[in-house]
Amino acid sequence: MIPKQKVVAMVLAGGQGSRLGVLTKKLAKPAVPFGGKYRIIDFPLSNCVNSGIEAVGILTQYQPLVLNEYIGNGQPWDLDGMHSGVNCLSPYEAVSGADWYSGTANAIYQNISYIDRYNPDYVLILSGDHIYKMDYNEMLEYHKKNKAACTIAAIDVPKEEASRFGILNTNKDGSIYEFDEKPAHPKSTNASMGIYIFNWKELRKYLIDDANDPNSSNDFGKNVLPTMLEAGERMFAYPFEGYWKDVGTIDSLWEANMDLLDPNVGLDLNQVYSRNPMMPPHYIADGVKIQNSLIADGCNVQGDLEFSILFAGVTVGKGAVINSSIIMPGAVIEEGARVEFAIVAENAVIGKNAVVGADPENVKNRDDWGVTVIGDNLTIGENVVVPPKAMIDKNMEVEK
Amino acid sequence: MKSNDVLGVIFSNSCEDTLTELTAHRTTASVPIGGKYRMIDFVLSNMANSNVNNVGIIAKSGFMSLMDHIGSGSAWDLSKKRSGVTILPPYAGVNFANKVETLYQLRGYVEDAAENYVLLSESNVVFNIDYTELFYLHSVNEADITLVYKNMPVPEKLTPMTIKHDNIGKVEKVFIQPEVKGNCNLWLGSMLVSKKLFLELITKAMSENELDFNRLVQKWAEEHTVFAYECPGHCDIISSMNEYFRFNMSLMDANLRKELFQYDRPIYTKVRDDAPCKYGLTSSVKNSLVSQGCFIEGEVENCVISKGVHIKKGAKVSNCIIMQDTEIGENCNLSYLIIDKDVIIADEKSMMGADSFPIHIEKKSVIN
Repeated sequence: MIPKQKVVAMVLAGGQGSRLGVLTKKLAKPAVPFGGKYRIIDFPLSNCVNSGIEAVGILTQYQPLVLNEYIGNGQPWDLDGMHSGVNCLSPYEAVSGADWYSGTANAIYQNISYIDRYNPDYVLILSGDHIYKMDYNEMLEYHKKNKAACTIAAIDVPKEEASRFGILNTNKDGSIYEFDEKPAHPKSTNASMGIYIFNWKELRKYLIDDANDPNSSNDFGKNVLPTMLEAGERMFAYPFEGYWKDVGTIDSLWEANMDLLDPNVGLDLNQVYSRNPMMPPHYIADGVKIQNSLIADGCNVQGDLEFSILFAGVTVGKGAVINSSIIMPGAVIEEGARVEFAIVAENAVIGKNAVVGADPENVKNRDDWGVTVIGDNLTIGENVVVPPKAMIDKNMEVEK
Repeated sequence: MKSNDVLGVIFSNSCEDTLTELTAHRTTASVPIGGKYRMIDFVLSNMANSNVNNVGIIAKSGFMSLMDHIGSGSAWDLSKKRSGVTILPPYAGVNFANKVETLYQLRGYVEDAAENYVLLSESNVVFNIDYTELFYLHSVNEADITLVYKNMPVPEKLTPMTIKHDNIGKVEKVFIQPEVKGNCNLWLGSMLVSKKLFLELITKAMSENELDFNRLVQKWAEEHTVFAYECPGHCDIISSMNEYFRFNMSLMDANLRKELFQYDRPIYTKVRDDAPCKYGLTSSVKNSLVSQGCFIEGEVENCVISKGVHIKKGAKVSNCIIMQDTEIGENCNLSYLIIDKDVIIADEKSMMGADSFPIHIEKKSVIN
């Protein structure tokens, strides 16, 4: 027997994140490095422990190696309790056969017995690819106060962006009367953040019904939530105010990183926990200009930085210039190289005098501009020019 | 012999009398150094990296900060089911007056350990070595005792013990405080000895009231098969404020950093979840080491800056060592200072030490 946990959190971390291209070639989206020393999954995990939730299941499916290794025993997040903590849950084989997680709801369905062990009152469903800080307790209080079966966190988005989201149309008391998935003409700007609290007893029932429905695509947004609403369950939208960003695309990932450098954006990194690099403090050489940047331990900086983020152990050679870019752990920017508006993944090497990406100000046709991405462990040779918006997945040399 | 057959024993109060202000409220072992480390991190990480999984740290006084730093030992991977790190404070009125008595009082701890060898070490030695070679040579030489030394100049405030050995490394004589010009074979206060012999020697010394540890080592070198092992690579002993200041400044050398902080033999330290260091629009930094969690808005030159330090706009800080969570006000002008933890310096202050005499500002000082 395991002592009861009032709330069990389940983090959906199985998606490929194909829109992140080379960045998710060998790792799941939640394991993508973020903010100079974190990985995206640090945010939901830290939110959980900071909200007093001590039982967390992470549903993994796509390329789980890096994520599994990173989570380890959960110690960096204090999720290594004797009877609780964090577990990575991948699809498995059972007497009835073996199945991949066919949808978000199916992933939870296949782990009903994991949740049952804790005998929880509530289950919190989270996404592993959002950057935000939130006290789930406040949401839970709201859920309890409304005697809801399900509460969905909602954020006010700009009207012109609303058609990219699942929109929650609510009554005055916050109860939901309609889901509008990516509507062409949104009635409100209340976007679902993909954060749900359910009463476990009820959700359990709906998950089993959903699994028995051959026509269902086993997805929360498409199937389970509409079914619950149709059945007349009390469903509420919990208004969240604060920073929240889905980092599912290169642009949004780059923007969320840049938001850390903007004093006007309300995202701070206090009480976000992560594995820490075992490296000495970073070194800044003489004659170097550094403006508005974040630098992690172990870096050796001999070039100029502007609006950029250096992860642990990055080397920047003499005369190199880095502008509005994100340089992931262990990458090397050699002498005289110029990196602008780019994401350079782990251990990549940008050769001497190479030019990666460009400032939008210097690009004639704005449609040709975008953030440049260099995949992990790649070498961009001396003097190579990588254009803006390029996504590089193999080594490059100057053609002779 | 196997590495995991060795019990590590570290003295936490090495040179505490000569490190003056730094050790006023803490042990030498827990003196902040190199931006994010404490002195003991070097020897403790060396032991952990060499599979010495059971370590006792002898604490004499002022060891609150040491206990806080070491915690469960998990940061060094020394929190295991069968072994780990133990802090050994004085107990039941027992006095840790000198090394011999201290070791005698701790004979129970040593006896109970599963390991068959004991590796004694000081906490104020900065180095990165793999002890495996020492263990190998100790058994190949069939030594009773192996002393670890380094050919180097004598530290400023250390009572030097030097070693004369023959060409196979067998110790011929140990000298106490000899006259030394230039380099000498300086004993680092570290020795490897079998547990059985160690207990015999310490018990015998107590019964004969021989309480001078240095004299004992000298005597053992005459009576037993004692070998010398030279510490490979870089090695510094911090015995004075001056040496402390110089060592921190020497870390600006990339080659030294590479040697001390190796990827496959990391120096571990207590983990704090600091965000990466943030540089503001008005910052200017030259030739400095800066740790995570800092916010730099002012001008910094030739400084070693620890975790969580805030240097505000217009401040000019040069040749300073700044310990964690200190706050430097706007338009301050500071040079040649060792600023301890949690200090607050208000706006517009000017303070200056000298290259040959860095001034220490006490922990939690508020300078208005």
